[in-house]
Amino acid sequence: MQKYVIRRLLLAVPVLLLSSLIVFGLMRVMPGDALIALMGESGNVGQKELAKLRKDLGLDKPYHGQYMLWLWQMVNLNPGDSIFTNEPISVSLKKAIPVTLELAALAMILGITIAVPIGVLSATRQDTTADYAGRVVAVSGLSIPDFWLATLVITFSAIWVHWIPPIGYVSLWESPWRNLQQFLLPAAVLGFRLSAATMRMTRSTVLEVLREDYVRTAWAKGLAGRMVVYKHALKNALIPVVTIVGGQLGVLLAGTVVVETIFALPGMGRLTVEAILYRDYPVVQTNVMLVAATLVTLNLVVDLTYAWLDPRIRYR
Amino acid sequence: MPATDPRKPSRRDVSRRTFLKRASWTGAGMTALVVGAGRGRASGQATAAASYPEWIPASTKPPKRGGVLTRASAWDPPLIDPRLTQSVGLYQFAGLTSNRLVRYALSDEAGGPSDLTLKGDLAESWQSDSANRVWTFKLRQGVKWQNVAPLKGRELTAADVKYCYEAYAKEGVQTFTFQEIEGMETPDKYTLRVHLKSPNTLFPQNVAEPIAIVFAREVLEEDGDLKKRLIGTGPYIMKEHSRKVRVVLQRNPDYFDKGRPYIDEYVILSTPDDSTRKAAFRTGQADFIWVASPSEVEVLRKTNPNAVVQAYHNTLAPFGVALAQDKPPYNDVRVRRAISMAIDRQKQVDTVFEGHGIPGWGVPYLYYQDKAPTLKELGPWVQYRPEEARKLLAEAGHGKGFETTLFYYEYFPQMSSQVQLVQQDLKKNLNIDMKITKLDYTTYYGRYVEGKWDGMSWGFQSGHAVGLDERTYHYMYSRSTKNFFRVNDTVIDDLTTKLRRTADRNEQRAITKKIVDREFDQVLRMWMPYDNGFLVFQPHVQNAAARALRRSDGYGSPTLARAWLDK
Repeated sequence: MQKYVIRRLLLAVPVLLLSSLIVFGLMRVMPGDALIALMGESGNVGQKELAKLRKDLGLDKPYHGQYMLWLWQMVNLNPGDSIFTNEPISVSLKKAIPVTLELAALAMILGITIAVPIGVLSATRQDTTADYAGRVVAVSGLSIPDFWLATLVITFSAIWVHWIPPIGYVSLWESPWRNLQQFLLPAAVLGFRLSAATMRMTRSTVLEVLREDYVRTAWAKGLAGRMVVYKHALKNALIPVVTIVGGQLGVLLAGTVVVETIFALPGMGRLTVEAILYRDYPVVQTNVMLVAATLVTLNLVVDLTYAWLDPRIRYR
Repeated sequence: MPATDPRKPSRRDVSRRTFLKRASWTGAGMTALVVGAGRGRASGQATAAASYPEWIPASTKPPKRGGVLTRASAWDPPLIDPRLTQSVGLYQFAGLTSNRLVRYALSDEAGGPSDLTLKGDLAESWQSDSANRVWTFKLRQGVKWQNVAPLKGRELTAADVKYCYEAYAKEGVQTFTFQEIEGMETPDKYTLRVHLKSPNTLFPQNVAEPIAIVFAREVLEEDGDLKKRLIGTGPYIMKEHSRKVRVVLQRNPDYFDKGRPYIDEYVILSTPDDSTRKAAFRTGQADFIWVASPSEVEVLRKTNPNAVVQAYHNTLAPFGVALAQDKPPYNDVRVRRAISMAIDRQKQVDTVFEGHGIPGWGVPYLYYQDKAPTLKELGPWVQYRPEEARKLLAEAGHGKGFETTLFYYEYFPQMSSQVQLVQQDLKKNLNIDMKITKLDYTTYYGRYVEGKWDGMSWGFQSGHAVGLDERTYHYMYSRSTKNFFRVNDTVIDDLTTKLRRTADRNEQRAITKKIVDREFDQVLRMWMPYDNGFLVFQPHVQNAAARALRRSDGYGSPTLARAWLDK
């Protein structure tokens, strides 16, 4: 197991290096630079001044020099400062990460809480109204885009109940109640999307497992239905579900971009999008690397979870 | 558990077909309901738009002190250094933390939305020498910087203004304006004498621009830039600036205009999404909001029937089709005229802006006539005459049309519709194939401002400017670095130079009219229709109306120093 983890971590290094090259290259290929964005609508800056500003921002160095410098900063866990705001990137991340983390965690909890019971219900009551309703919910979750659902939720909350989450982020430690109010709806929107795929996967795997011999044996022993489904069937049906949930994390992180914008939450999504628009290279590069590292780690965690769910699985 | 538990009988099974049938009927019913609910909305829009007042006069009640004014804002300041940005994200509040030497009348002292009177802000009075090259500003005495370290409430002097203007001239986005200054002297603490390189009767207008705020020298000296702290002499102190969250302004108790401001705090909440901003207004989280179309006002008034609406009327359009007019085929005036006549501007106003828009012009009409020009008054080349356009293009040797490109950035959703309408018009009427490229802001901006592109761009002129000098000489003089439309016309050069040397108001109006006529005659800048929009206030907000040149939610924010809450 230990060897397996070490091997996986070592394999992550080339993945991360490749990601760093791609993101660095793509940012340089994009036309325009931070300086142009920085100058707003002026158009009245002379070439001499532009050159000076470029030098100040380190944009005059050759690409390989810029890349090596950034890599070195990343290895030292000091990604530098934002070109645009001069704020240390670590400070920006310190503000943004908790927001996205909280949103993603809540969405995940809500998503799984909705998905697994409905998936099980759908499977155990196959072809009934409850099953069809569950499947409609799942298909809706898959097909309704986040931005549309979020817009509907916020608009109709305002019209029907004259309430929307309070705008202007406050941290969980500052005011837990206000913070919860701010996160509940966006997490529900994200969670709904996440729950859809999970719900469908739960339904199909539970259906499959319910037809296994050992489940039939359990019924034959006269065990209560709940015991058969939750104790015997569900745990064995969960491995593909965990895989799906792990795979959905990337989608979840992508979804935060839209949901954070609509619900005005200052998370990683908004930070990254703004940095891309302003060509704030160090911020984009650092954020992308952070997301890449998170996904690599989460995939490893998901793989390790299999062993916990099914003790027969061994890692070599 | 019918399917899997063999011991239990099957419950009410629903076949797939039955389920789909029921679902279809439900869906059809819902659709009918929604369609029915939406009917009858459009018919009332035009009349409703016309019924909203253009101007909300100052309240006659005595102002009340206190309260918190909140606004959900689309804009986030990219940075708070006034040397480095002209972004409305900054100036939606920088005009409240800081002052300028002179300013335009605020909403409670203006006679109407088109009142262009200049008032003293930090300056008490100002005058020029007979040649209009030396301007002397007498500052108010006893104006204090905000009581925040390192200023700690020290008195503002003429040397502060001199330092600030020198810094603007040295680097950043305001160099063009301030490099016009040859030198400055401060004969005493309260007198600033500005020597210009060439005569300019309109110089006070330039320093009244919303971006020409006076910042604190100590902050620049200590920090090396102004990206972290914004300290001024204004009615509000910046208490908090959390990027992408909020800006909180707190009443400055030492403000020189005694008794003002009335409101204790002004909170600007960063809210990038339009539907969220509207929801915030509906639920009372925001005290005022800008909306573009009459239908949006009507929808808002369904949930907020007591909302007070000001129908805004733009005095200029900031966007238009910019042509590479220094290159063929656009260096031929016949081609420019033909293209202009092939575009149906009225259709854009009627459809894209629901009738509440202007056909488009670049110099504020208030500088040369009292009423907004109609489409007809803008001259023959902006009239929609496809037949004549075809003939003219054929005369120019392009009877079969040609291929061209247009790049743009979608500043607001309606812009894409406008671009597509222009594309259709040009194809249908002139057989011009226009390939559209939609870009992100930085790419668009870099390419557009660099000014080396071919074909067309959906161009702009800076949104912040209100002054006549900025709107004429700065934007149209051939060698100006702000001449984004690439105007190169000797008549315009002469007229814009003459304008800034003319002191008489009536003569100024006459020259401005000549500039506008020349611009339209030669199709030097092909302005496109623009929305008028509406400002919608909660009923308790008083004295926050927008004036003709500036909206109180944006560059016109200084007017909020006179606003109060009737709660």
